[in-house]
Amino acid sequence: MLEFTYKAHCDLLGKFKIDTEYDIVTVRQTIRQYAKDMGMGIVDQTRITTAVSELFRNMYNYAGGGEVLIERGEVENHHALIVTCTDQGPGIEDIELAMTDGYTSGQGMGYGLPGAKRLVDRFEIQSKLKEGTTVRMMKWK
Amino acid sequence: MKEILNIKNTKERIDRIEDILASVASGDMDARINSEIEDDFSGIEAAIDLLINDLTDELRQRENMQKELENKLSKIQDQQKTILQQQEDLLELSSPVSKVWDNILILPVIGTLDSQRTQVMMENLLQKIVETGCTISILDITGVPTVDTQVANHLLKTVTAARLLGAECIISGISPAIAQTIVHLGIDLSAIRTKATLQDAMIFAMKQNKRADEVRALGNLALPNEKTD
Amino acid sequence: MNLHEKRIPIIKIHDYLIVPIQVDMHDKLAIQLQSQILEEIAKTRAKGVLIDISVLEMVDSFIGRMLSGMASMAAIMDTSVVIVGMQPAVAITLVELGLEMPGVDTALNMEKGMEMLERRLNSRKTDSF
Repeated sequence: MLEFTYKAHCDLLGKFKIDTEYDIVTVRQTIRQYAKDMGMGIVDQTRITTAVSELFRNMYNYAGGGEVLIERGEVENHHALIVTCTDQGPGIEDIELAMTDGYTSGQGMGYGLPGAKRLVDRFEIQSKLKEGTTVRMMKWK
Repeated sequence: MKEILNIKNTKERIDRIEDILASVASGDMDARINSEIEDDFSGIEAAIDLLINDLTDELRQRENMQKELENKLSKIQDQQKTILQQQEDLLELSSPVSKVWDNILILPVIGTLDSQRTQVMMENLLQKIVETGCTISILDITGVPTVDTQVANHLLKTVTAARLLGAECIISGISPAIAQTIVHLGIDLSAIRTKATLQDAMIFAMKQNKRADEVRALGNLALPNEKTD
Repeated sequence: MNLHEKRIPIIKIHDYLIVPIQVDMHDKLAIQLQSQILEEIAKTRAKGVLIDISVLEMVDSFIGRMLSGMASMAAIMDTSVVIVGMQPAVAITLVELGLEMPGVDTALNMEKGMEMLERRLNSRKTDSF
């Protein structure tokens, strides 16, 4: 349903469901391992792991969970780890507002989305009210 | 008047030509007709042999050329790898962190700072802080001609990250030009302890050390006093 | 590893509590730990808490906020909290995330953290008499 601006040849690494808080922990550990396998440095590993943790929490808190697709591919001459999170939640009414530092609609303090964006190289978000939200993040090796 | 062609064993010879051409087509470049009969047809047979010779030469040349190109390519790739490696090494070398005194680290930065180099520098310094357990580090930028917003932000980030680790980071050697740039760019360095020269920073760091020692000594005195109360 | 069964130990030594966090925490565990520590402070009347996060490979905004919230709450209860041993990669990521944790005391290692708490406690003792 959503179209993203990047074109790339991707290899699927894994597909996971986030249904519980434990899934958040295990899937972010899995993503850290993928980042490590790709040869990312320790700081970049920590950045991508932290960024996905923020997204997973959003998905879990606002949409009750969702699906995560992990791919690796060549984007703009970079080896990229690509994480796509899709949920069937209520959607985000004002994306620009949600991406503003310090803004929150729930119990958080608003570091989630804008914080995650600062930690990765590409960040795209699309949302439709009552249908859901998809976020795609890429981190260069 | 009708010309009469003098051709012997026509059928067999045409079959042989077909066989030879088939072998050449399937890659056997040594196959030749090599007919020993001399008559009106032998010219054609010889011409075919010559053509096969030319073709063979051509193919060999092309193969050699390809090999040469492949060699050159792999050489270039090797060189590129070396250059990348050297660049990385240079990045590491260009930010030497040294422990100059008990509890004090110094990182002298020389040359232009770009975003990538600052990033590597920051990681190196923080790693060294953890390894040595030094709580004071001095980032001396006397040898840096200019900073832009991004580099200033990286410096700011380094200081904040060091604080999260439990260490203090002082920036020294801020030239008038850099001070001007920082204020013009609207970057707020008020949260950072800055010193004009490396010497000032060093004196400040030693004083911090001394104060920590004094507090420690006072603490050791205070404890028994407390018990006698 | 069974994540459901993990509990984080809180160790009391003299006036101090030591909390070594050695698991990748999910949010519920983090909230649980926060109230557990506060209860332990009330029960033992500890004057200082050392939270060792040296093996944590990741601190996201939730855990970061839990830690700084922890420090403010303990401060109201007249107890100092020191966060000990944060990894460089974690510190860089926290700063980029926008969580600079102002007002939270940090130390490079357990020994330095303990010194810091002792200094606090002693200056308070000499102040009050």
